[in-house]
Amino acid sequence: MDAFQGLLTGFQVALSLEGIMFVLIGVIVGTLIGMMPGLGPISAIAIMIPITYGMDPAPALVMMAGVYYGAVFGGSTSSILLNAPGISGTVATAFDGYPMAQQGKAGKALAIAAISSFVGGTVSVVLLMLLAPALSSVAISFGPPAYFALMFMGLTAISSLSEGSTIKAMIAAVAGFMVVTIGIDPQTGTQRFTFGNVNLFDGFDFLIIALGLFAVAEVCMLILNRKNRSLSDDQKLGSLKLSKADLKEMSGPVSRQSFVGFLLGVLPGAGATIASFISYIFEKRIAKNPGEFGKGAIKGLAAPESSNNAATSGAFVPLLSLGIPGSGTTAVMLGAFLVLGVQPGPLLMTDRPEIFWGIIASMYLGNVFLLILNLPLIPYLAKILSIPRPLLISLVIMFSLIGVYSISFNVFDLYMLLVFGALGFAMRIFSFPAPPFILAFILGGMMEQAFRQSMTISNGSLSIFVDSPLPLSLLLIALISLLVPAFLKWRSNRLAYKQR
Amino acid sequence: MLASINRKLGLLIFIVAAVYLYLSFQLPNYEYAPIDADVIPKGLGILLLVLSVFLFFSRVVETDAEKAKRDIPKKELGVIAAVFAMIFVYILLFETIGFIITTTLFIFFCSWFLGYRAWKTNILVSLLFPIVMYAIFVFALGIVLPRGILPF
Repeated sequence: MDAFQGLLTGFQVALSLEGIMFVLIGVIVGTLIGMMPGLGPISAIAIMIPITYGMDPAPALVMMAGVYYGAVFGGSTSSILLNAPGISGTVATAFDGYPMAQQGKAGKALAIAAISSFVGGTVSVVLLMLLAPALSSVAISFGPPAYFALMFMGLTAISSLSEGSTIKAMIAAVAGFMVVTIGIDPQTGTQRFTFGNVNLFDGFDFLIIALGLFAVAEVCMLILNRKNRSLSDDQKLGSLKLSKADLKEMSGPVSRQSFVGFLLGVLPGAGATIASFISYIFEKRIAKNPGEFGKGAIKGLAAPESSNNAATSGAFVPLLSLGIPGSGTTAVMLGAFLVLGVQPGPLLMTDRPEIFWGIIASMYLGNVFLLILNLPLIPYLAKILSIPRPLLISLVIMFSLIGVYSISFNVFDLYMLLVFGALGFAMRIFSFPAPPFILAFILGGMMEQAFRQSMTISNGSLSIFVDSPLPLSLLLIALISLLVPAFLKWRSNRLAYKQR
Repeated sequence: MLASINRKLGLLIFIVAAVYLYLSFQLPNYEYAPIDADVIPKGLGILLLVLSVFLFFSRVVETDAEKAKRDIPKKELGVIAAVFAMIFVYILLFETIGFIITTTLFIFFCSWFLGYRAWKTNILVSLLFPIVMYAIFVFALGIVLPRGILPF
């Protein structure tokens, strides 16, 4: 099936009554949860997963994708209005968005963010549509060693690109992998680390980890910050209108950073947050008057906004065509696929074209909906920011508990949710990044399987990973991605040490 | 010796890794698998052991932002512990008393405890939310939530 025909199939799904409805639900829920400071896209997706039980996979996944990019779209609103980023991908949005709002130009800032997000998202869907099928047809010939190497590279990339210490990020990744070894080994039937507890035989469901490590841990942070101000009723948004000069000023950064964002989204480990920072710095470097950045520059707002949304669609490239998520958020998306019995990967495009193309086509539609939601309706949507924090906290706890209960109807899992919530909170306090943990948890089972398949093929010789060029080069990239930042840090530390 | 936080964390993680590694050596053998179930756990255990040593000896100085993050007043930790305790009680009673009643009580008292004093809205939300969720899950999605002592 060629891309054009595929896209037609996709639009049949996306433009059906059901499709339109679920895209709309997805982007609205995503926007609302994304707006809440402290609740990120991972929580948004995890909270919505129970709703999809029993649904047809295509509309369900179209909705989940909408939740994801809707959250990135919506996160900018609270960055601009409250200087409290809704999600980490919109931290850079606050740099210039909040100063603009303080100057009484909040409406204008929201309009710039919405239009930049729309362009970034749409450009990126076009690129996704071109790249994903191509990558699928290459990946179809990958054997277990190449898959193992790819996933290994994804984990090292997310560890070395995480905020803060690389060692801590790697510890988080290894811990995530360890948690997935709990349960009955699917290949030999050996019980591993179950201590004879029947509840542990099947291992932990990923929803327990995702909701505990993110939603419950984020609730703890919300409890600490519960006295921070929410939106006051008298805050004026100002006019949403943009002048021709404004649009002209935006056009440069938006068109450049849409491509930059997409590229960073495709690469493993990066994603919306890193993309938005790189784009911000990029535009500041090449600006004629970089001094304006941070004081409400239009370019400084447009750049991260187009970039983070472009990265979001970019992140779907490895997910859809390789079946390998490159970030914490897409790892949870993969979980959503698996819950519905859909295995993303090179075969998805040919086996389930209605899902592969349906998601891509729905993104065009979703971005249009988001533009409409975020332009004329934004003053009404922003009202959700005035929800009292204590009430929000109680409701998120409830959503998490119901979500976990509805997968297994087992109270044991609810206690485990509490345990992983406490772990996630501790990780936040002691600066261990959580995304490597969830990515390793999702990839762990697949990696172990690929590793053991490879070793079976090679009769137990590790040389299978270095004999053919593809796994070898992927593993080398993984090694370099760990060593180069470590070396740079070591050198700068040594210099600092000498100077003391 | 345990002056810096990284040393304490390193030691803690070292202990976790050692226990995990010990348990992986206890795993039974299965003769016919070329790569047995214990290979990956052993590898992970060793990796975590090495990483914990790196963390212990790392000279990286904690940034002010990182320090501020873990500087939480004891009272606030108490608040979080209390919320966890409430969730614990909720889970304990959830199946016997039923979803609607426990959820109503939880939302009302948890919000009130965290400083929400608009009790009229609070009562309204804590009644409506469980009823709406129950209706959605049980009647629309076909996911059965515990009915408990209520007749419906």
